[in-house]
Amino acid sequence: MRKSLAKQALNADTNAPAMGRFVGQSVKRVEDQRLLTGNGTYVADVNPEEVVHASFFRSPYAHAEILSIDLAAGLALDGVIAIYTGKDIERLTNPFAPLASLANQYTPVFYGLATDRVRHVGDPIAIIIATSRCIAEDAAELIDVDYKPLATVTNHREANDPTIPAIWPKNDSNVLYEDEKIYGEIERVFARADHVFTETFSCHRVSNQPMETRGAVAEIDPDSGEITYHAATQSPHLLRWILAISTERESVVESLKYLATNRDRLKKFGAGAKAFLTEKKDDLAKNDSTASTNQIKKDPSTLAHLGRTFFNTLGSRRYPRVVAKDVGGAFGSKGAVNREDVVLLAAALDLNRSVKWIEDRSENLADGGQAREEDMTISVAAKDDGTILGFRVELVMDQGAYPAVPFNCGLFSNMIKAMLPGPYRLEAFEMKMKVVASNKGRYLQYRGPWANETWVRERMLDIVARELAISPTELRQKNMFGPEHLPGKMVTGPDLDEDMTAAATLAKAIEVADLPAFEVAQAEALTIGRHLGIGFATYHEAAPGPDNFWESVNPGSDAFLPERVDAVLGRDGSVSIKTQQLPHGQSHETTYSQLAADELGIAIKDVTLVYGDTDNTPFGLLGTGGSRGGPVGGGGVTFSSRQLRRLILDEAADLMEASVDDLDIIDGKIHVRGVPALSKTFADVARAVTSRGQAASTANAIETHVVYSNAGNGGWACSTHVCWVDVDLETGFVTIPRYVVVEDCGQMINPAIVEGQIRGGVAQGIGAVFYEKTVYDESANFQSSTFMDYLIPTAMEIPEIEIFHLETPASVEADFRGVGEGGMIGSPPAINNAVENALAHLGVRITEQHLPPTRILELAGVIEAE
Amino acid sequence: MSNPTDRSASQTPAAQAPAGQTTRRITVTVNDTTANHDIAVRQSLSDFIREDLGLTGTHLGCEHGVCGACTILLDGQAVRSCLMLAVHADETTITTIEGLAEPDGTLHPIQQAFHESHGFQCAFCAPGFVMTTMALLNSNPNPTKEQIREELSGNLCRCTGYHTILKGVETAVQLYGSGRRDASETTDTNRQDGGTANA
Repeated sequence: MRKSLAKQALNADTNAPAMGRFVGQSVKRVEDQRLLTGNGTYVADVNPEEVVHASFFRSPYAHAEILSIDLAAGLALDGVIAIYTGKDIERLTNPFAPLASLANQYTPVFYGLATDRVRHVGDPIAIIIATSRCIAEDAAELIDVDYKPLATVTNHREANDPTIPAIWPKNDSNVLYEDEKIYGEIERVFARADHVFTETFSCHRVSNQPMETRGAVAEIDPDSGEITYHAATQSPHLLRWILAISTERESVVESLKYLATNRDRLKKFGAGAKAFLTEKKDDLAKNDSTASTNQIKKDPSTLAHLGRTFFNTLGSRRYPRVVAKDVGGAFGSKGAVNREDVVLLAAALDLNRSVKWIEDRSENLADGGQAREEDMTISVAAKDDGTILGFRVELVMDQGAYPAVPFNCGLFSNMIKAMLPGPYRLEAFEMKMKVVASNKGRYLQYRGPWANETWVRERMLDIVARELAISPTELRQKNMFGPEHLPGKMVTGPDLDEDMTAAATLAKAIEVADLPAFEVAQAEALTIGRHLGIGFATYHEAAPGPDNFWESVNPGSDAFLPERVDAVLGRDGSVSIKTQQLPHGQSHETTYSQLAADELGIAIKDVTLVYGDTDNTPFGLLGTGGSRGGPVGGGGVTFSSRQLRRLILDEAADLMEASVDDLDIIDGKIHVRGVPALSKTFADVARAVTSRGQAASTANAIETHVVYSNAGNGGWACSTHVCWVDVDLETGFVTIPRYVVVEDCGQMINPAIVEGQIRGGVAQGIGAVFYEKTVYDESANFQSSTFMDYLIPTAMEIPEIEIFHLETPASVEADFRGVGEGGMIGSPPAINNAVENALAHLGVRITEQHLPPTRILELAGVIEAE
Repeated sequence: MSNPTDRSASQTPAAQAPAGQTTRRITVTVNDTTANHDIAVRQSLSDFIREDLGLTGTHLGCEHGVCGACTILLDGQAVRSCLMLAVHADETTITTIEGLAEPDGTLHPIQQAFHESHGFQCAFCAPGFVMTTMALLNSNPNPTKEQIREELSGNLCRCTGYHTILKGVETAVQLYGSGRRDASETTDTNRQDGGTANA
């Protein structure tokens, strides 16, 4: 297991700065100067010289064979430079082959453009390159495709129907993954129960919908062939390597020839690979090798593709450099690599010129990322007194047609599995997981990709409480891990440390909610025909979680988790922090500068955060996601800055002929404690290092870095949400008179930024419950392709959201816990529970998350259900 | 805020291009600079602003008039530039997000207010919100909380849940709106923005 760097550093350091000048303050955002004045650089703002524009021609059919494609009219249009179809892309690229498959999973092998058939509305069939985006879109209108429609799969019931042919014929059926895990003695536990309650829950499909759509600019230097790929991405290094392995298309022989004559490349790669394999030996050994053998058995082409990909990548002449400056939101969606990315770069390389693609909103709604569509049947074994013994759960997840790259539903279903028991003491747990294919857009990670475990569990606990005539809060408290049970262990494996304070957040929420007073108000309101309700939901979130968290999700997948952060003293005395993180709204430039400035005794403006350039940032495949920016990236900034401080002071000690232990840094000036008049600056130190010929590089005097994974064996962010609702049975509209979040993420780096993350997440939960739905009709025709159909909540729909912070002091340093995803995890169950509470006297039971006005009226019996 | 489609429906002198003519010359004042531009008659105003003028602060979130990211001031009114053709902007005065801060970078009071309130996160929607706020405070320097919510409901933000944006407008009422109220009581010539000046 990885040792906790935090603990080591805490013990080893004798020269830590006085903490807390900036950390803990709601420091105003460094990003604002450029972003509020319109001077940001989002990908649509990037216009290299001579750039031309791309548009995709997409399938209007949900499922059809492509019989023929006629490009003549499109190509004849003035301004059209080229059109590529699947046949070209087969020639120019390697297909997406499974990089991270699970045992019992079939991962389709597919190209950036549809080759023989289309599998969902919006499936890209051709890319048109033209002198302007308008002309490219005009040409798309002129492409003539002859289709032969095929039977569609619209939902998991159809996907399970063996009479409907497989969307991916190399698989026997539309079931792509099936697995089962049992923890504890499930049979015995259920036999011992006084009651077994069973319910099936169904969540609708929603979409991430950042305000900036997807897009990229493949910039090619026509002389050198150098590739700079500007992208709206969460993970530039991931994108870089997938672009590299997808767009290099040589024969294996050619690649080997190139390698043979380029010993340097071979040596460098060999050394890198050896280091990685040695360091990650234990993690990698946990991977289940049957995954690859099963995959290859079903689709032998996988092996050939993977093999060629490997040699092509090794022998590549040019790896793209990926650059991203400002990114307009993502919520997970830009952590996936797009099929369009590979096609765009392939076209640009083929034309040897820069090409830009900015998708429109309808494309984003159709295939920019969709999520959450799953059904779960849960059985709860309970005692008369409300003790919960165990859960049995069956999950079916509808991944749509093409798996997202690189993370897909196989992994997400296992995240749901790991977290479903929540902060509760279960004796046993059984999870059956199934992932199916359908003729819909990509299911990808959306803000807490496992969130429906909390929805189903917290919804079900309310139902169990009602059945047992116990209050929902009492039932939760009775079964939750409290201080007396910690440290402990989830039934699925992950360790729980003393800072797992879910129970404390619930206690505080109960106190804030004042239930007795609410019950009086609720009864009074009902006498005048008003339906008030209250709902709770509690969860703990691995942000980043303990050492053994990923072990419980999917052994071996933690090989890429540790994050390198570089701290640099420039030759001019400036300080830079280099991160693999890619901020897209989380305000890293502010928070990381707070952390570094405190460590180094300098001002926030004296720290430059370097990100979003694969040529100039440390390697890391995850970028920003998984609520890791605070805990992992932030911890890394703390300790790399501390290391830099030590190196600066060592140098200053020589310069000043003083003992390093006597030195301090205040406002960027290094001096002997108590003698502020005699001081040296960072520039003096940089000059001294450089003049000795010891500069780290042509640009920098000192470079140092840490590789960091987590602070101690905890990393749980905990929270309880409470929602109050007022349900109008005339109209079916629900208002939220009050919403409270009690959360504990440990020490906050910047409270205003933490609160922004929480409120934003809750708003998306409110949207998902009442407004947002990605709709396909019974033939998988896409029905929600504009913002008039897919309703994003506005300022009118989102209420005030009150936040209470517990900020439990952690036992280890830099134990910041992530808050990016939690808001959206806790809100749907709290809202659903509140609505059911308001309508309970009508016998209403809520098993579908989506509650638009018509559904409310149907549930309440005001109108007849369809 | 007026219906963004009103303007294009009511004002069409330059749009009446002879059949078959694909370009037109327009005269437009943008952020205090007046110039002639030869433009394609089918070009949207937002594309004209972003591509021809290079003012990329005006963002395109949906290109169908719902999200409000492309909001600009046209003769003082907040309009969605994605829903207008550039030809419709002939002989108008436009203010974009780039026209607010001082040349030395000093933020406009509305921008300053959003900075102080931690208004935005990814900030892709920010230019639209800033321009909508400016139109609101120009016409109603001291709106109520409910009026603020209502007026801002034509702009979508996916990051913040709106809380900090609404706080930002409330701060802007202090930093800008009340100043305007005082100004409008005394003289009308001292406006801080170019957007409401008569063309």
